[in-house]
Amino acid sequence: MKRKKSLIKSDNFQAIMMILPFLIGFILFSYVPIIYILRYAFTDYAGFGKATFTGLANFVRVFQRDPDFWQSLVNTVVLSAGKLAVEIPLALLLAILLNKKLRGLSFFRVTLFMPTIISAAIIGLIFSLLFSPFQGMINEILKSIGLITKPINFFDTKWKAMLILGIASVWQNYGINMIFFLMALQSIPQEIYDCASIDGATGIRRFFKITLPMIAPIFQSILLMAIVGSLKVCDLVISLTNGQPGGTTEVAMTYIYKSFFGKSGRNIEIGYASAMALITAIFLALVTFVYLKATKKLKEYEA
Amino acid sequence: MSMGKLKRILRNSAVYIFLSAFFVISFFPVFFTFMSSFKSNMEILTTGNRLIPKAFVVENYIKAWKMADFSIYTKNSVFLAVFCVLGAVMSSTICGYAFSRGKFKGKEIVFYFMVSSMFVSLGTLTLYPLLMEMKAVHLNKSLWGVIIIRVFGMNVTNLFIARGYITSIPSEIDEAAKIDGCSFVGIYRRIIFPLCKPLIATVAILAFRSAWNDYMLPMVFTMTDTKRMPLVVGVMHLKSSGAAASAWNLMLAGTVISLVPMIVIYIAFNRFFISGMTAGAVKG
Repeated sequence: MKRKKSLIKSDNFQAIMMILPFLIGFILFSYVPIIYILRYAFTDYAGFGKATFTGLANFVRVFQRDPDFWQSLVNTVVLSAGKLAVEIPLALLLAILLNKKLRGLSFFRVTLFMPTIISAAIIGLIFSLLFSPFQGMINEILKSIGLITKPINFFDTKWKAMLILGIASVWQNYGINMIFFLMALQSIPQEIYDCASIDGATGIRRFFKITLPMIAPIFQSILLMAIVGSLKVCDLVISLTNGQPGGTTEVAMTYIYKSFFGKSGRNIEIGYASAMALITAIFLALVTFVYLKATKKLKEYEA
Repeated sequence: MSMGKLKRILRNSAVYIFLSAFFVISFFPVFFTFMSSFKSNMEILTTGNRLIPKAFVVENYIKAWKMADFSIYTKNSVFLAVFCVLGAVMSSTICGYAFSRGKFKGKEIVFYFMVSSMFVSLGTLTLYPLLMEMKAVHLNKSLWGVIIIRVFGMNVTNLFIARGYITSIPSEIDEAAKIDGCSFVGIYRRIIFPLCKPLIATVAILAFRSAWNDYMLPMVFTMTDTKRMPLVVGVMHLKSSGAAASAWNLMLAGTVISLVPMIVIYIAFNRFFISGMTAGAVKG
């Protein structure tokens, strides 16, 4: 009895007991779902009754008979690459401007960051109204400044719809990346610039010779988060295009979600959706791995 | 000299003009939503739309609140946010404290094991398994399921911030308390937790943001029961239901109802937002 009491009183026991519930929760909600997907990926299961083991049948189907899934994966990559090509340079440029010693810049820092705090689903909704085909505000603006005479239907072809997705996504994310870059810039010691200006380095040269190498390690992390984040895009697509027109703007996450839950006229196919989820997870891991390998050099500047 | 000064003024004005353009870009969609929420449905759906409504129809809000269940959605959102915030504050301070001050074997391994979830988080891919786990304990049709997943699923960013913050509190303080006979949990309760106010503010705001804005997770938990939907889910539900075309005005009113608390909190606490959301990045 006495020993038990001292166990409860011991620091280590108490520390472990404090962490334990969260450790269990973490295993339940981070790892168990992956095991679940691994288990059902090799079965035929519609969400009720028994799951029948079908070996690699789901994977054969993904690779041989589901061009729509591959289209959604390609869309994910194209959308991510396209929007990051705009978003990252833009965020860096804004950060450089905000890093200048001018009055009132904190106002811009706070207001330009604001889109980041809005729900992705709500952003999709707002942009679908802004760009709506006939009476949308963007159409009205373009008409009033004489750029177009007839309203544009922004959502009737795949690439127009993808463009709007890209615009909405850049709008949603440039603020956070801007702040990340601003933090990186503020970590550069001023003396380095002072030395450089004595040597006569100015403007663009200074940017490529000092600023960029100095922020390279943080740049690597920022870009990784931006890439992974945009490959996992889901809410925005669901609320903005929901895959329209004709399922051509589906991204991997929305496509798989719809198979799990039987949305957009799809059947509920847990087994098949799990197989696609597994392939997508491996793809995500592969992208991260390749990215980290390819950008290893950037991190070395840190030393 | 005066040439140089002129050049500088020109360059600085160019900076201000460029930033102002982005201020407009950042603000316009929100302002547009706000204005549109006062338009009649007719006005929203006809061409020749202007930014400022012809007449401010406050009725949109009354209708959305009373007839379109937005009062219920708001209540649900508040419920979800309150428990997610409380849970996040508890979980991050407790784990941050135990990982910072605890000396048990394997502490580092467990910590990095938990942090590794950053790399295995698969977003929407795990929605269905999560729902099934909660179904096993009959919480698949309630926001409690969402709360449990959010709180016990641990947010790695919060964990990092909390451990860092608590490590920065001098350990002499708890040594002294220990001599006075305070237990490990007691030190957390009486000494560390009260010293964590800035940490709590940051974690609370981040948790509020994600709970208030979350869409997919609460959506799959409330699919069959519209009375349990939080605001964002409710707005989206209205959009995808057949009534969408005839209810844009209500949807926009609902959107604004969901936007306003977020924006007010952002304006009041933007420093915590910005520092909190970037803290995870530095460590990652």
